[in-house]
Amino acid sequence: MPEALSYLFSSWLRPDLLALTAIGTFTGIYVGAIPGLSVTMAVSILISFTFSWDVNTALALMNGIYMGGVYGGSRMAILLNIPGTPAAIATALDGYPLAKKGEAGSAIGLSTVMSVLGGFVGIAVLAVAAPTVSEFAILFQPRDYMLLAIMGILLVGSLSGESLAKGVFAGALGLLLGTVGLDPMTAEQRFTFGSVQLMSGIAPIALMIGLFGVSEALLQLHNIHAEAIKQKVGRIVPSLADVRKYLSLSLQTSGIGALIGALPGTGGDIAALIAYDHAKRVTKNPEVPFGEGAKEGIVGAETANNAAVAGAYIPMLTLGIPGDAVTAIIIGALFIHGLNPGPLLMIEKPDIFWFTVGNLVLANVFLLIFGLTGIKIFTRIVECPKSILFPLILLLSVVGAFSINNAITDVWWMLGFGVFGYLLKLYGYQIGPIVLGIILSRLMDGNWRRAIISEQDSIPAFLMGIVTSPLSLAFLLVILFALVSQMPWWKALRNRGAGPA
Amino acid sequence: MPNEVQTRRPGEVTFNAVLLAFSLFMFWQAYLIVGFSSLSSAGAFPMAMTAIMSVTAAIALLRSARRRSPQGGVTLFRKEVLPPAVVVFSAFILGYSLLLQPLGFLLASFLFLVVSTWFLEAGRFRRAVLLSTISIVGVYVVFRLIFQVVLPEGLIPERGLASAIGNLLRGGN
Repeated sequence: MPEALSYLFSSWLRPDLLALTAIGTFTGIYVGAIPGLSVTMAVSILISFTFSWDVNTALALMNGIYMGGVYGGSRMAILLNIPGTPAAIATALDGYPLAKKGEAGSAIGLSTVMSVLGGFVGIAVLAVAAPTVSEFAILFQPRDYMLLAIMGILLVGSLSGESLAKGVFAGALGLLLGTVGLDPMTAEQRFTFGSVQLMSGIAPIALMIGLFGVSEALLQLHNIHAEAIKQKVGRIVPSLADVRKYLSLSLQTSGIGALIGALPGTGGDIAALIAYDHAKRVTKNPEVPFGEGAKEGIVGAETANNAAVAGAYIPMLTLGIPGDAVTAIIIGALFIHGLNPGPLLMIEKPDIFWFTVGNLVLANVFLLIFGLTGIKIFTRIVECPKSILFPLILLLSVVGAFSINNAITDVWWMLGFGVFGYLLKLYGYQIGPIVLGIILSRLMDGNWRRAIISEQDSIPAFLMGIVTSPLSLAFLLVILFALVSQMPWWKALRNRGAGPA
Repeated sequence: MPNEVQTRRPGEVTFNAVLLAFSLFMFWQAYLIVGFSSLSSAGAFPMAMTAIMSVTAAIALLRSARRRSPQGGVTLFRKEVLPPAVVVFSAFILGYSLLLQPLGFLLASFLFLVVSTWFLEAGRFRRAVLLSTISIVGVYVVFRLIFQVVLPEGLIPERGLASAIGNLLRGGN
């Protein structure tokens, strides 16, 4: 335990880690705040530059960006009604009306304090729950991992997209892309088309940079000449009375956020919407109605989305299953650093876990500092010319892909998937499931084969195994629910059940 | 709630059809790995995935074909799917990637930034050069000097430059 404690505070004591966490958090806030830039984009591009670092320094930067980015989205949601990140959609509902009343400053201040509070609750849940989950995870059968992976991809695909079929397509495509190369079990060639380069597979980070960096930058070129609107921002440090008033609600919504974040496949965006809904239900007499500037709405959304950040680390560090797209990219980086996230990580490398917990706390402290200061610089930076911003993103994407292996091949893959991702997004397919699929492909393929071999290739025996184990059955039911709840006939049935209003 | 008949996006049917064709082709390729030999073979999982892709792509294709086709033809396609900025930029990135190794990071990146910023700034050349210079210095300092990323050297003896700056900083201490 004392050893764990020393890891916990290592990022506080080493100046380079301290600086990187601060830089990451600061960058994250701006990345989240500038519409068109996203946390996934920043993490996927930057991660390729960190391969030569040791794992802790790379994690320090990523943790900071993730924490800062999820919070940063709230800024533009409040000021311009444009959520900088999907996680800030719920924040815009009440934040923007407040800004229109001239209370942008107090809305930003409240969202900062609440984000930090939610962040701390999420980290506490991570520190307490992850060791338990990883002990429990040793009981998991291969089929459970397979079902969990399906669950993660389905939840990402079905909850956030325009159609379930497109979400499932994207997930399957990602899983397929992950199989390219030599089969790790039998060394048979899969989809190599005779190319030696394809035998080692396609670099996942190159695909991610293309899908998140280039495709998004190309999409943003559609409305590059949109003019920025300016809002007046007053005092932002909120009063202690305000914070105390919403303390009970904020603790509830933080808890909700951490739990939803911990589900594989659901991240801050869904957590924020559900917590917003919760805040709406439990606030009996809001001073201002919800949707017209109720501070309770901001409290609910902002606590939950930052609590979900730490929550998303739980399945990533204990099961090797990412909680959302950002943690999927971080898993990709951990693989490259020779780490294998899963139940054994906590036993073999407890330092990584405790480092992450301590580092997230640090990032959260920086979030408070940067969130409540420097609002003047903030408005200047956010107005930086788009004409240089998007070329810069593309430049970093190319250089990032190149620096994975110092090979131009990765750049071609990156560009190909950049254009492909652009078209996919344009036609309503989501990118999230593809990335989750790429990361989960090996885990799912391997566990499927282990599971079916142990049942002597018998499907009935495999199904019996699922139905007779309470854990597997529970996972299966969640999967079925995620599927059925998106079916057109089910939606029609529910609408009829609700009756003509 | 009656099914709303929406207008599909220009090119949507073609795109979905290409996805379906790709899925079917990959299914065939997955079959070629080992055929239908066993459920735990190297080809089983890829075959399952490509089968799912084929079915879902077919559903997406049918749905898009059932929607009203967009009015506006090629003009609309050019506006919504491939606006000039996107086409031009794709060409810029392609050119940049091709030049990255022969010219080296500094020269190729500077050219790319100037040309693309100039394009987006609609002709304000001096502003484009200024912005590009500031950006390239920033990127170089952060990624090459601080993060120590190895970048293609090309025509400018950049490695010598980096170590000279390093020596200067060390000498200054």
